[in-house]
Amino acid sequence: MILSLCVLTPNRIVWDSEVKEIILSTNSGQIGVLPNHAPIATAIDIGILRIRLNDQWLTMALMGGFARIGNNEVTVLVNDAEKGSDIDPQEAQQTLEIAEANLRKAEGKRQIIEANLALRRARARVEAINVIS
Amino acid sequence: MSCSNLTMLVSSKPSLSDTTSLSFRSSLSPFQLPSSPAANNPSRSSSVTPIHCGLRELRTRIESVKNTQKITEAMKLVAAAKVRRAQEAVVNGRPFSETLVEVLYNINEQLQTDDVDAPLTKVRPVKKVALVVVTGDRGLCGGFNNYLIKKAEARIADLKQLGIDYTIISVGKKGNSYFLRRPYIPVDRFLDKGGLPTAKEAQAIADDVFSLFVSEEVDKVELLYTKFVSLVKSEPVIHTLLPLSPKGEICDVNGVCVDAAEDEFFRLTTREGKLTVERGVSRTATTDFSPILQFEQDPVQILDALLPLYLNSQILKALQESLASELAARMSAMSNATDNASELKKSLSMVYNRQRQAKITGEILEIVAGADALT
Repeated sequence: MILSLCVLTPNRIVWDSEVKEIILSTNSGQIGVLPNHAPIATAIDIGILRIRLNDQWLTMALMGGFARIGNNEVTVLVNDAEKGSDIDPQEAQQTLEIAEANLRKAEGKRQIIEANLALRRARARVEAINVIS
Repeated sequence: MSCSNLTMLVSSKPSLSDTTSLSFRSSLSPFQLPSSPAANNPSRSSSVTPIHCGLRELRTRIESVKNTQKITEAMKLVAAAKVRRAQEAVVNGRPFSETLVEVLYNINEQLQTDDVDAPLTKVRPVKKVALVVVTGDRGLCGGFNNYLIKKAEARIADLKQLGIDYTIISVGKKGNSYFLRRPYIPVDRFLDKGGLPTAKEAQAIADDVFSLFVSEEVDKVELLYTKFVSLVKSEPVIHTLLPLSPKGEICDVNGVCVDAAEDEFFRLTTREGKLTVERGVSRTATTDFSPILQFEQDPVQILDALLPLYLNSQILKALQESLASELAARMSAMSNATDNASELKKSLSMVYNRQRQAKITGEILEIVAGADALT
């Protein structure tokens, strides 16, 4: 049995092909999905998605969204998704540092909310690069 | 130059109360602007006042009109090509929005009995409203930017009358320069959008709106953009963005209706048609989830994850529609300008030829008279 994965963003289809296994970071922790998984619906946190193609692991940074699993089909709806190999490590690291600095000097409820979001996005991107193994 | 009163129009626009609002307007001021919209009146300048100027001036004028015509023609073609690209962008986003609507519909069904309490759906008494004003980045597109800004002004006046505080989030260069010149209008943030709208730009706006709303700085967010109806028609609309209501109806706690009459509520079960001349609203097939589907988290939490996605796709759609309308407006403005230029060229060459003929006739008469005098 093979799992078909479909990652959709408002702009385009990021991934639409068959995979062996995926690991999703959901709001309640990471879950691994193998073929013949029970049908579930879950919210996806800002974090990484790991995809196994045969013996190769790929990572993708997901910017929060929703996933539906069932019938050996996984549909992932996210605001933005970037493949780990497409991210520029230096740029991502810089963005992370800027986000950290911004959070430290954020004042007021609103700025903190914004800075936190930015930091989590930046962190997910850096993780997506570093996890490649 | 002595030839005045000629209507060489790039575009005609109904005059604002404030004439400085558009940069290229001032460059046109020596010419007289008729007050009728150019869109439905292509043959208008046949009754212009006579042209009084010399042959040489006429020649330069004809030359410059010819050049202008070339430019407007080119701009028209460029806009037409870009409309296609904008159309493709909408088509690319289709799978996402279709799946999203389907999932939202299903979850709403499941939650019908529950009391939904997601932060983005919380309806509070409205004390302050954020207006997201989406304008274009460039001019030369007829009344496109003007109409939207006028709409925004009208909305601001409405809110003032109701005694509700407001703030503006301006998207697009034209709106930015308009609000920058009016420091008495409170603007929360200026945002730029370059080229084709992508999820990144929509995300920037969504982040801003989200934090404003969640931190309770504003109690309602409205989106002002130009809805694309067809290639020749588009209209500025006001759209309530937040609070999102799964049921689609928003009623103020105080009993005062804050929504403008033409306010459009979003519908969760429908999606916009594609960018063709007709705008169809088709219903997405909402197949039911398999009955054994489990929710990994609380349904409310899942709704919480979905609503920002929905917010984003709404904003993205508004940006795309706004761009499509801008390009369509530019296309028609430029084709009008091209028509006007060719008409002007025609009447100028007619005058030129007449004057030249008159001059030749005069010269021949002189020669004949001179020859007569010699004999």
